[in-house]
Amino acid sequence: MSPFFFYLFAAILIFASLCVILARNPLYNVLSLVVAIFSLSCIFVTLEAYFVGMILILVYAGAVLVFFLFVVMCLNLNSITLTSEAQNRFRWLGTFAALMFTFSFVLATKSFIKAQAVDISSIRGTIEAIGKILFTDYLLPFELTSLLLLIAIFGIVSLAQGALSTGKDTDNS
Amino acid sequence: MITLGSYLALSGVIFSIGLVGVMTSRNVLKVLLSLELLLAASNLSFVSFSKFNGDYAGQLIVFFVILVAAAEVAIGLAIVVLMYRRLSTIQADELRTMKW
Repeated sequence: MSPFFFYLFAAILIFASLCVILARNPLYNVLSLVVAIFSLSCIFVTLEAYFVGMILILVYAGAVLVFFLFVVMCLNLNSITLTSEAQNRFRWLGTFAALMFTFSFVLATKSFIKAQAVDISSIRGTIEAIGKILFTDYLLPFELTSLLLLIAIFGIVSLAQGALSTGKDTDNS
Repeated sequence: MITLGSYLALSGVIFSIGLVGVMTSRNVLKVLLSLELLLAASNLSFVSFSKFNGDYAGQLIVFFVILVAAAEVAIGLAIVVLMYRRLSTIQADELRTMKW
């Protein structure tokens, strides 16, 4: 795979994820995360992980981020976040901690950056290969995720029920 | 040529950007979006290790991470909507009570 595509999509990914945390408008935050997810999926394709890349687009850009957009538009947040985006007290502390993390990460991956030559192994993450290993060796975790989704549904329904039963007096927005 | 180190460096950069977002933003919605960035960065490192080690397990873990992230986002956004209805704000500093 040509290195050109890696650098192109890496640049798009970094720029879009900077937009996620720096843009003022929450709508732009969500939309730039969509761009970031698309470029991440392209990077997965350069790594020949086709199935995971497709799932990333379908689940993230298709379901999760549309859900985010729905909530942003439903709450009508533009006026609130634009006015009260005040200075966080721990802003510089958080930035400092993240920079320290980056420094330690660079130290930790220095051996990889120096040593590891490129090694194109014969791994191709097609649907056939992933499905074959998913339904034989990893069958139990796969079934447990269905339990997890069921629990998530129960949690959301109980949250919504609590809002319906006790939230009548506050407002009906 | 692209080595494993460049993928890991990209993953580290994205993780750091997400970490800055989680630590410095007061908007709960923005914190959730930055959490998605953290998960995406870890997914990238999993897939690159899977490619360079010749093992499919990394891509399967990414599959599970995506599933868990979908559940997490659903519950997190439900809580955000509930918080907006109760407090009519989504700033994290306004959450001062454990029980309402």
